[in-house]
Amino acid sequence: MRLARGTAPRGSAIPLTPLVDVMLILLVFFMVTSTYLNLDMIPMIDRAEEDMPPARGATAGDAAGAAMLVRVRADGALVWQGRVLTPEALGEVLAARVTEDPGARLLVLPAGAATTQALVRVLDVAQAAGVRAVNLLRLDGP
Amino acid sequence: MRLSRSSRRAPAETIVALIDVTFFLLVFFLLVGRLDASAPFEVIPPIATSGESLPAGGMTVSMSPAADLALDGQPTERAALVAAVRGRVEAGDLERLRLNVHADAPVRDLLALVAALEETGATPVVLVVTPTPP
Repeated sequence: MRLARGTAPRGSAIPLTPLVDVMLILLVFFMVTSTYLNLDMIPMIDRAEEDMPPARGATAGDAAGAAMLVRVRADGALVWQGRVLTPEALGEVLAARVTEDPGARLLVLPAGAATTQALVRVLDVAQAAGVRAVNLLRLDGP
Repeated sequence: MRLSRSSRRAPAETIVALIDVTFFLLVFFLLVGRLDASAPFEVIPPIATSGESLPAGGMTVSMSPAADLALDGQPTERAALVAAVRGRVEAGDLERLRLNVHADAPVRDLLALVAALEETGATPVVLVVTPTPP
């Protein structure tokens, strides 16, 4: 008995047009939904800097340089020695202090309700002013 | 006189090149677009002009303005997060810990998290910022 075997018609390759359609749709989807952010980083904990005295439990006399204190209020205002300063003015003050004492440390005491952006603004100003050591203070509340 | 006419049929190789380019672009956008899906909630990083270049790799901790936490894109609680980080630290395979914190998140929650992470011995811990507003 001879069974007829189905023969694939020659020249009928898999159609590529639907594949291209799907890929183009996916491509446009990812192009539209992708967002691009230029991301940088600010060190928060770095064991390499532990040769510097920690802020917790340390006094100003223990430090190699003088300690400078900046408070960040809940509304984001920067307070330096009882006065509210703009970030630019604070940068000038810090730069002048660092010029006199290159080892000066900056202690930042932020209010708990202050935003992360306000804290980062202080770190940004300190970095631009050339402050090498910045410590964050946290009040342990109940 | 008979002039030979060129065939009007397009060569078959054209569509293969198109598919190659489309696949390349598709994979590119797949890889690049993954960064945005690293948190179950929207995180707008704070703006800072003095940040250093952010290398790839490591664990990513995300925090929303309401102090919700996520570890590598999965929602979690602080205790579980700290335990996971401590496990990675003790295993010795923590390359870096990235804090992807929303700009409006309260400092109270950020510093409490940093203090808890510091006790695990995790280092380096970096805060993700952006030099340009999104």
